[in-house]
Amino acid sequence: MHMKTKKLSITPQTVCNILILVFFFWFVMACLIMPNINTIWSVFVQEGEFTLEPLQKLLGSERAMKSLKNSFILAPSLALTVGFVGISLVLITEYFDIKGASILRLGYMTTLIYGGIILVSGYKFIYGNNGFLTNIFAGIIPSFPTDWFQGYWAVLFVMTFACTSNHMIFLRNAMRAVDFQTVEAAQNMGAGPGKILLKVVLPVLTPSLLAVTILTFITGLSATSAPLLVGGRDFQTITPMILSFSKNVGSRDLAALLALFLGIATIILLVVMMQIEKRGHYMSVSKVKTTIVKQKIRNPVLNVLAHGYAYILFLIYVVPVVLIILFSFTDSATIASRKLSISSFTLKNYEAVFSKATAYKPFLVSIVYSALSAFAVAVLVLAACRIIQKRKDKISTALEYSLLIPWLLPTTLIAIGLITTYNTPRFWMFNKVLTGTTIIMFLGYMIIKIPFTLRMTKAAFFALDDSLEDAARNLGAKPLYTFFRVLLPVVLPTVLAIFALNFNGLLGDYDMSVFMYHPLMQPLGVYIKSLTDSQTNADNSALTFVYAVLMMIISGIVLYLVYGRGENKVKGNNK
Amino acid sequence: MIKLDNIGVTFGSFEALKDINIHVKEGEFFTFLGPSGCGKTTTLRTITGFITPSCGRVSVRGVDITNTPIEKRNIGMVFQSYALFPTMSVYENIAFGLKVQKVGKDEIRERVNTMAEKVDLSQEQLQKKVSQLSGGQQQRVAIARALVTSPEIICLDEPLSNLDAKLRVQLRNELKDLQKRFGITTVYVTHDQEEALTLSDRIAVFNKGVIEQIGRPDEIYNHSATEFVCNFIGDINRLSPEFLTASGADKVSGIDLHKHSYIRLERMHVNDAVAGDAMTIQAEVESYEYYGLYIKYTLKVREQIIKVIEKNSGKPLYGTGETVTLSFNPADIMQYKG
Repeated sequence: MHMKTKKLSITPQTVCNILILVFFFWFVMACLIMPNINTIWSVFVQEGEFTLEPLQKLLGSERAMKSLKNSFILAPSLALTVGFVGISLVLITEYFDIKGASILRLGYMTTLIYGGIILVSGYKFIYGNNGFLTNIFAGIIPSFPTDWFQGYWAVLFVMTFACTSNHMIFLRNAMRAVDFQTVEAAQNMGAGPGKILLKVVLPVLTPSLLAVTILTFITGLSATSAPLLVGGRDFQTITPMILSFSKNVGSRDLAALLALFLGIATIILLVVMMQIEKRGHYMSVSKVKTTIVKQKIRNPVLNVLAHGYAYILFLIYVVPVVLIILFSFTDSATIASRKLSISSFTLKNYEAVFSKATAYKPFLVSIVYSALSAFAVAVLVLAACRIIQKRKDKISTALEYSLLIPWLLPTTLIAIGLITTYNTPRFWMFNKVLTGTTIIMFLGYMIIKIPFTLRMTKAAFFALDDSLEDAARNLGAKPLYTFFRVLLPVVLPTVLAIFALNFNGLLGDYDMSVFMYHPLMQPLGVYIKSLTDSQTNADNSALTFVYAVLMMIISGIVLYLVYGRGENKVKGNNK
Repeated sequence: MIKLDNIGVTFGSFEALKDINIHVKEGEFFTFLGPSGCGKTTTLRTITGFITPSCGRVSVRGVDITNTPIEKRNIGMVFQSYALFPTMSVYENIAFGLKVQKVGKDEIRERVNTMAEKVDLSQEQLQKKVSQLSGGQQQRVAIARALVTSPEIICLDEPLSNLDAKLRVQLRNELKDLQKRFGITTVYVTHDQEEALTLSDRIAVFNKGVIEQIGRPDEIYNHSATEFVCNFIGDINRLSPEFLTASGADKVSGIDLHKHSYIRLERMHVNDAVAGDAMTIQAEVESYEYYGLYIKYTLKVREQIIKVIEKNSGKPLYGTGETVTLSFNPADIMQYKG
């Protein structure tokens, strides 16, 4: 707003500002732009010449083509099944009068504290070969195929119930925002319950529903844990294939090309999603908005069917969690036989995790990496948000868009970019090799959490009353003092909540870790996967269960602190 | 005390302020009045230093402060939203400026307590978070925070606009009372004409980045310098040339039928005793609104609608369709070039 061109004076603050901008320029170039450019380069330029050979290799690779086909079968079918189950969950918990809805809601929300590799391994323990339910079925029907839980249907089943978290957060919020007076108005005009649901309530949810459906589609395309653990030989998708190709130097170009392909598909879908977001949400125009009143299902048959459906879903969600918790307290013989008895309960598994270095080290590694990365990303984004808020010029716009790059790219592509770019000395990384070091996973963790952190922190900054800063300046405070004493305390609850959510998300990460972990610093996700691979060993399963329970406790505490106390609420999409 | 000389402010190609000249006297309650976007807040922010003008000079007691940093101007400010720091207690909010000035702890405590007493904030309230206070109490905290550093001037940017009507009137009186008690030079921004008229020693009326008139409230109201000021302040009737001719006002010296003519609602009377210079004309009652303290009549005079405010003297009301005599003094007509 300063109208006069002031004389350029070099103050310590100017120097500090310049240094911060230089740092951000380096970070964006080195961590967000160069690795991706290098990925494209490594695919299409080999030995200094442009080539389409990797594309031909890809088209000629039966495994690669099959994985592409599988991903494109999985993604749309998953969007449909998750959509159906997700809408059901929201209607059961928020719209229809179903007895025990609050208990059901808790059950449906278990995916918030238990996801990724741990969830898939839990399902495998129950439905897999020698699984808890598989054994029960095999006991009843001797000819029951014990390897039934494998391939497309198994992946679809696991992912359908694993991917409803977005529905339980965003779609549920949208449902709670429905103005009940619109329902009453429709009733007043003679509309029946079905018509009200289809014509009044669901249309209000459409924008949120479309957004979460696209996110589900993207999740389906880049599925990792489920196809790896229950896909079997015949149903491997793009990301497991990238992982497989990236292990071999000769096929790294194929891995990069597949990752690029995934990146382009994700960008297209996200552009579609942004267009949907631009169309906006249906805002209530009511001045005296009233909250939704649960609708009774008047038809007794439908009511019983709805209750039955709700409780079957509840069991599907809760049984793996309950069994994991129960079996985490049992000895290896019980885990191997899957037969629970009072005498088999023990605390030995927990003792083992807390006493054996080999057992607690992965947990410790993950905690340290997650905490450091979540902290670093919080600090980085706080500084970026301050620049974006204060400058409002081309530099700040460029910075903001650059920091959103990881949002457009699948984790796999980011990982491939980093490990293939920094496996040789590069100017942008001060000629240091990062691949194989302990730093690269820290960088990777940070990068994938930047977009979510930026969106949420920026929202908190822009929600700040501008006059707070003006008031502090008017009272004589300098910019740094104003930032630390006035602005930061206001946004701190949001920043801490984002830190907690990021920490939570990274703790059990597998998708990024598997590409970049240091052999001596194996994180939890990777360790659990290796344990799950050899699940015939009951001791390994016991460890997995203990990790799962510990992570559920940590995630539960974090979610309670962030969402559960009525304040410090963070709404948004934690990609 | 505060002098603005030829101030101009531009935002890109938009000229927000054009050639602003104001002289606020010591101890005066000076109000910037005008509609949204007229430049009144921009002028206030130019005085406090949040905006540096593209031309002109801001001075306080003869000292040029045009380029003086905000924190060195010693001008207190109360913001529209009060801008109270939500993470701090009332005490910490008031003490903030003193802490920044590195005043000793004991002195801070003493000054905050004295100030709190002056603005009627109890010790208990000082320990509360600002969110626990009512709108009126928050306003007092904002004023205390602005005054505790003993500024020479206090600027208030629409501090009553977020409050309900009743509280606004109550706090308006408190504000005037506080200003009198502290005797501090006050610059006040508002778009509410009633607020400006009741609070101010003098008013500057802004329109599209220029000052239309500076004067005492009665001058502004009774002798509006421009057609804009006349329309912006209070309710007014615009009189058509036909009305003036029919009422005989066109014969009065100084009344020009080619100019736009206006008269205030309370300067016209219904069936009143006619004084020597008054003009009269027959009118028909279209409708009336009963306010208790006064009655607002809507009358039809030929094809023109005239509104009249009559003090409630207890006389029976004139009903719709009733013919009445409308009287007015032509000296009360304000005329402006069209």
